[in-house]
Amino acid sequence: MFVIKCPHCFEAREEEEFSYGGEAFVARPESPETESEENWGDYLFMKRNPKGWHWEMWGHSTGCRKFFVLKRNTANHTIVGAWTLAEARKIYDAEEAIA
Amino acid sequence: MLNSTTNNTSEFKPVMQSPLHPFGLAAKQEKINDSKGAWANEIPLLGYISLRGNSQNAAFVSAVNSALNITLPTQACSMINAAWGSILWLSPDEWLITCKRDQRASFQQSLEAALAGIHSQVVDNSGGYTTVLLKGKNASDVLHHCTVYDLNMLQAGKVVGTTFGKLSLYVHQHENGYSLVFRRSFADYIWRYLERSALPYGFGIAQLNDGQ
Repeated sequence: MFVIKCPHCFEAREEEEFSYGGEAFVARPESPETESEENWGDYLFMKRNPKGWHWEMWGHSTGCRKFFVLKRNTANHTIVGAWTLAEARKIYDAEEAIA
Repeated sequence: MLNSTTNNTSEFKPVMQSPLHPFGLAAKQEKINDSKGAWANEIPLLGYISLRGNSQNAAFVSAVNSALNITLPTQACSMINAAWGSILWLSPDEWLITCKRDQRASFQQSLEAALAGIHSQVVDNSGGYTTVLLKGKNASDVLHHCTVYDLNMLQAGKVVGTTFGKLSLYVHQHENGYSLVFRRSFADYIWRYLERSALPYGFGIAQLNDGQ
């Protein structure tokens, strides 16, 4: 059972209040109309499934009903933090630049 | 004409009923006493207005404040009580205003007038919600059976959206008990869940004060 601190409610809440929203920051193709079938299929279905650190979206479904971003270790369920989408984008981009 | 012979007595006359009316709560209510640990009743047919807007926008906040003569609770999970009702923070850009049912049109009108030209939304949701009060010495015990929220964290002036069984609702302190605000369609489930959860403590239908 996770205890997640919602960045909108500023309070730690039980996992039961949240719903999983999949991998975060999956870049949407600029022009879906002209994108190849393969790239569009990749965008829709091919998500990362790492053992280790994973950036993912969660929704606070029974609370404020907002989505936010969480960085979680899929191997041992350590949660580093939760941020709003805008805040997390900066941290994510900075980390991606180093990687 | 099809209805030319119909007389006025068979005219369609809609009747407003609260979502919990099949339980006949009004007939069963009694004054709160020591015989039972948990007491509940519905506050039927209040007015509920949904307000949306950007709390970072000073023009929006001051327009709402002047229209309702209150201070909009912009802090997360906060609420305020006014003489006419209350305003609950639901999310960073959404509030729920509760008032007497016959006041809702005037509140909606004054909000819409004050917010003209400001990016915002005012919707009358009175058909969509209802409120149940839960009191008694075991009120917290009953609620702990139903939600995952740590009720020790629920101080006065705070409102949280959380789970209730398989559903969701908003809960805040009300006098010496709790006020549960939830969707009309959840009413049957939530009321039966409360009855069942309160079995070990005894469950009574509380007599509410006038105007509550």
